[in-house]
Amino acid sequence: MKHQHASPSLEHWQRLSPWAVGLLLVTSAISIVRQHLPLVFGAGAGLVFIERIGLYEALLGGVSLLLAAILLSLQYYRRFRFRLDGDVLVIQKGLFEHREFKVAARHVQHIAIHQPVYMRLFGVVQWQVETLAGEASRIELPGISRDLAEALGQRLGSSAPRDPKASEWHESSAKGGQIRFTITPWALTLHGLTSRSIYVIAAMLSPLIRPVERWAHEHFPGSGAREWLIDSPFMTLGLTVVALVAILATLAVFASWWRFHGYELRDDGERHVQVSGLLQRQEQALSLRRLQVVEWAQTGLGRVLGRGYLVCRQFGAPGGGEAEEGRRFLVPGLTRAQGGDLIRTLWPGISMSNALSGVSVIYRRVLMLRISLALVAGLVGLSWLAGEGWPSPPAWGWGVLAVILLLVVWILAYLRWKALGWSREGRYMRVRQGLWGHRTSIFPLHNVISVSIQQSWLQRRRGLATLHLFLANGRLTLPFLDKRVAVELADRLLASVEAPLSVE
Amino acid sequence: MTFSNSSVEPDTLPAVEEARLTSVSPRLAPCVALQQMWRWLLLTTLALLFPVTNATLAVWQPWFAAGVGGLGAMMIVAGWLEAKRRAYGVREHDVIYHRGLLIHRTQVLPLVRLQHVETLSSPIERAFGLVRLACFTAGGRGADLLLEGLPARRAEAVKHYLLSRLDSDGDGQPPPSPPPSASG
Repeated sequence: MKHQHASPSLEHWQRLSPWAVGLLLVTSAISIVRQHLPLVFGAGAGLVFIERIGLYEALLGGVSLLLAAILLSLQYYRRFRFRLDGDVLVIQKGLFEHREFKVAARHVQHIAIHQPVYMRLFGVVQWQVETLAGEASRIELPGISRDLAEALGQRLGSSAPRDPKASEWHESSAKGGQIRFTITPWALTLHGLTSRSIYVIAAMLSPLIRPVERWAHEHFPGSGAREWLIDSPFMTLGLTVVALVAILATLAVFASWWRFHGYELRDDGERHVQVSGLLQRQEQALSLRRLQVVEWAQTGLGRVLGRGYLVCRQFGAPGGGEAEEGRRFLVPGLTRAQGGDLIRTLWPGISMSNALSGVSVIYRRVLMLRISLALVAGLVGLSWLAGEGWPSPPAWGWGVLAVILLLVVWILAYLRWKALGWSREGRYMRVRQGLWGHRTSIFPLHNVISVSIQQSWLQRRRGLATLHLFLANGRLTLPFLDKRVAVELADRLLASVEAPLSVE
Repeated sequence: MTFSNSSVEPDTLPAVEEARLTSVSPRLAPCVALQQMWRWLLLTTLALLFPVTNATLAVWQPWFAAGVGGLGAMMIVAGWLEAKRRAYGVREHDVIYHRGLLIHRTQVLPLVRLQHVETLSSPIERAFGLVRLACFTAGGRGADLLLEGLPARRAEAVKHYLLSRLDSDGDGQPPPSPPPSASG
């Protein structure tokens, strides 16, 4: 078995794997291409650029850049070294400026191992560590052997006392532990459909709309199909929407399979470890001592299909989109029951049976007012932009439009107000937010960072207050609570933080 | 491990509302007003001198600039009044900062969360002898609590108290008393 090999001596200086030079080039190239994809292909800028300078010159430039990149990678490899000094990881690196980083084991909150498909052949992985300072503190060893990565993870990932002579200490616990969750192909597919990937993919592909449109005009200039489409605008619109949704859904499912294929969540005692990925295997370890907030997220479609996912939040991970969550410790494709079971595992003692308390109905009216104002501002802006082209329907038409808009505003305000809820259960708190989809944050009271009570002029008149809870991953807001409730909750939360053992 | 879940009477908890707060320096109000004045003066000048090619809009430009100036004057007065109402408190276990004119905000930062304290001052603040005290917690991208309008000596005293709390919490020592005039 691979893990029975003697682990490398981490106390001596270690270098990156020799393969790291080539892999660094590949990784950097993929990263640059991915980041600049819209710029290069979005409006055909890449082709125009090559046409302008000539193919031969472009190739020459490319080869020169490649040579420079190889030289720089070799220099980077030469300078990069690391070792463990007791429980402190020391890293020295830098091309033109020599830098030394030190990461103490007690400050580590997150360790991840990535292995893209081109690294598998060489048994090399990318190893990342993140401290309590969050993402900004992330340090990466861009190409080391898997044994070395696992040994480092074991040494830094646990603060449990251990025998200082035991350099092979990790072997006893590696790959051990209880399997908490494994994903099925059906759950993986449903996760693709019900996660927010579909919106992210739509945003990523939006720069391609114009080139595709141009291509369609050039290739179908006078065909019968085009004339038929022009004659049936509603059919065209319907078909376009269906085709777009089908393409996006397929891509979202593919993304889900790519990221979470073979997903396995393992309980390793002090930490939870997840392994997943179709071609790029990814292993993430979550230290339970560093866990701050668990979020149970369900999109609108996810609620209909009874599927959701868990996001485990630590310090310095502000809420973001799917791309942000892709790097977080995420448990995908869960049913409600599975999600509840996992939450109870992560937060022992919580039952999640308490009904959520809502906020004042005045919040719904405030929401209606805010949405109406935004809508009116939007319509005024549109009419100003359209100028003479703005349609002028009869008076009854405006009336119907106003009624429809009011109905939409009321539904939106009602859904957002209804979704908002909170509950305190022993030493835990749950806060739910959302519109069509819901996101419920569950955290121990003593994990709150700070608390803010806010009262507007209207709220003072009505005896209400807004409570802001600042957590390790961002802010949660409970608007328009009864002031007495808000103040009492703030006092209890502060007491839990300041004397965590006495207030439960 | 046994899980306990005993009830705690809310009345026995220390109440944020009852904390005694100390007003910030009275010099903060003119300092804030001056800062706002520079900002709005710049905006008004921009509104007045921005090249407008459309003749109809150009007629309205001075009125628009006057409107921006009027709004600025209102904001300066509001800023002055708001700065006079700010207050802070340092309790045994937390720091409190209260601010706001139409919207009142009271933020409480438990000292156990504190990681780092910094004092900052702009040239205008230094002219008024004022200092900002920025309190940082783990993982934050900016200051989690910013106490504005502290006289320089008071800011130093509060900073030293907070730093001593950081040291004592790390050593497991009992906490020192808060600075006398800032305690709640």
